Amino acid sequence: MPASKAAHPEAMAPPTPGPTRTAPPMQPGSWKTSPRMKQYARFGLTGWIYLFASFAGIAIVWSLGSGPEAYARMQAILAHPLAVGFHLLALASVVFVLIRFFGLFPKAQPARIGPAKPPPQPVLKVMLYGVWIGIALVMAIVKAGGLF
Amino acid sequence: MSQEHRLLKFEPLIWFLFGQGIMIGSILMTSWLLVVGILHPLGIVHPDALGYERALMLASNPIGSVIVFSILALPLWKGAHHVRHFFIDRGYAEYDGTIGALSYLVATLGSLLALVAVIRL
Repeated sequence: MPASKAAHPEAMAPPTPGPTRTAPPMQPGSWKTSPRMKQYARFGLTGWIYLFASFAGIAIVWSLGSGPEAYARMQAILAHPLAVGFHLLALASVVFVLIRFFGLFPKAQPARIGPAKPPPQPVLKVMLYGVWIGIALVMAIVKAGGLF
Repeated sequence: MSQEHRLLKFEPLIWFLFGQGIMIGSILMTSWLLVVGILHPLGIVHPDALGYERALMLASNPIGSVIVFSILALPLWKGAHHVRHFFIDRGYAEYDGTIGALSYLVATLGSLLALVAVIRL
């Protein structure tokens, strides 16, 4: 039997280029208002809210480190309806982000992590929500004066 | 080397911080926003619960400092990454290098500011 040898890389190519079967990709003019893009935009907008909420938090902790008078002034600012409204919006953003993230996280797990298999998706989802609600509840009780 | 290529070098670190921000940052922020931002200012929680002395005691002990720093710094990375992707999704991908670099610069400066704020306590 004759020895095999490497074939030319284009050995199987047709002798003449064929017609293009698909049109060049075009972006529809309405892409910005499509439901999927609106959902991405809402998710992206939470980024702005997270940034503002973090800097507001830094200002609160900074005032705490500046003494009782600065902290009292900050408490007065926090009691303003606009500040309360912003924190309500930020809380809604956090809930929206975590619900979306917890929906995605179980699906994104690899089939195996070394010798271990991740738990079934519904179990993983229950675990994530359990951790979230548990930690939020304990920390809220501590901050509200129920513990320590 | 373009700005986008420079950012790609830091991609593992950026994704690590973004991942911690969206998961741990969001989980920790829930009670912060609820109590510090809503219930306490509305008077639903007793005023002494977050009075100066008690707030300082909670935030300045070693465990409290780590938690407060995480609440302040981690969401910045989630925010920066999503602001970057917000612009990409709205059709500004050609400016991604600049927008990405600015977003992460804000998150870096904010994290340093958060660290100083916690150390001052």
